[in-house]
Amino acid sequence: MAGEGFLNRDVLSTKDFSREELDLIFDTASDVEENPGKYRNTLTDKRVALLFLEPSTRTYGSFEASAVNLGCKILSNRNPAVTSISKGETLHDTIKMIESYDTDCIVLRDRRMGSSRFAAEVSELPVINGGSGSREHPTQAMLDLYTILKERGGIDGVRTGFVGDLKYGRTCSSLSYALGGYDDVEISFVAPPILQVRREVEIFLKQRGVPYTKSSELRDAIPGLDVLYVTRIQKERFPDPTDYERVKGSYVVDNSALALGKEELGVMHPLPRVDELSPEVDRTGHAWYFSQAANGIPVRTAILSLVLGG
Amino acid sequence: MENQLLVRKIENGTVIDHIPAWRSEMVLRLLDVEEIRTRTDISLVSLNNVPSRKYGRKDIIKVNNYYLEEGEADLVCLVYPTATINYIEDWEPRKYRPKTPERIFGRIRCPEVGCITNSPREPILTRFRVLPEFKVLQCEYCDSLLDFENMPEYVKDK
Repeated sequence: MAGEGFLNRDVLSTKDFSREELDLIFDTASDVEENPGKYRNTLTDKRVALLFLEPSTRTYGSFEASAVNLGCKILSNRNPAVTSISKGETLHDTIKMIESYDTDCIVLRDRRMGSSRFAAEVSELPVINGGSGSREHPTQAMLDLYTILKERGGIDGVRTGFVGDLKYGRTCSSLSYALGGYDDVEISFVAPPILQVRREVEIFLKQRGVPYTKSSELRDAIPGLDVLYVTRIQKERFPDPTDYERVKGSYVVDNSALALGKEELGVMHPLPRVDELSPEVDRTGHAWYFSQAANGIPVRTAILSLVLGG
Repeated sequence: MENQLLVRKIENGTVIDHIPAWRSEMVLRLLDVEEIRTRTDISLVSLNNVPSRKYGRKDIIKVNNYYLEEGEADLVCLVYPTATINYIEDWEPRKYRPKTPERIFGRIRCPEVGCITNSPREPILTRFRVLPEFKVLQCEYCDSLLDFENMPEYVKDK
């Protein structure tokens, strides 16, 4: 079986996955799209725990829909206020409890950074990171790469620009790590200095020999890009509101900004958006973000199927 | 030498020399201070800002009847690469050759307050990988970086 190495495997960080392993996920996701019936109700004897201790719409929804498609039973826990965590229970004990409910896999979202890695050490079950604090969101990065692959025909050689909140945005770090496994990629990080990409991401890229630039000028970065990955600038993170007022207008991606780029430039966004991405872009060929969101289901179906042995 | 006048040689114990001037307090944070404080046979002297031919000025720590564990010695040399460590037995010094650890377990707190390792009551031991080429530790749970020079601020009590 091609996915044998994935059976019961943790999905914690894109750093843990080789290019070949990512390719297997994408091949499987593509097969899910082409032959959905082949996967339907193939895992009826499996139970998936969706432990979402932070708000989520797309990640929760697409994991749930994927598990339903595969025929898995779902143990859902998405409200920390009604769990024993609100009474002070440790994550360790919560994971141990879930493990004892005859579960086969845990999908965890938690605001604490590194929580999924810890959960994977505590549990014998495979743990899938559904987003841990501001650090990692590996399955989002996998569906992002799958989107690039589908829209562009390949990932090698892609010039990606990240714009917005790169310091706290977990999708930016996870996708940067994942891109590091491909050939001839280049990355531009565009953000105000206080929201620039974190140093550990820079160190990872230096270790992998991936060229990258940092700047605060969006319009300078757009020409030459193949993909523009937009993230929301989070007003609440700014220590000084006047800093936010000064930078927010610089990062509105609209048709006039995109006119500076290549005709085939694709715009991605992990959503939700606020005002950083103009709705006028929706009607152009640049808009990849709705198909990107839709790719959550085939990619997460592929991940669950590979991990649970469907 | 001025420093020889300030303190005599020790018969048994550890001498940490060539510490950058005014950094001995930081070095002490890296040691097992609890043991040093509670053992009545140990005495410690810390010299600040003494002349050094090589570095101009330096600090020295002498601990009588206490031998730094190799892990402690390695941490001190990681943070202050100029530091030298000599174990003294019957007045005879033996120079310790520090090793760069690949990982550090338990001794350091993660600087990221939102890291799971800083979560109250979680039964978890901190774990850092050492990246000497960037002079940083990296938390293996949350990926946060800690510069070598800031390590003394994050030492946990044993």
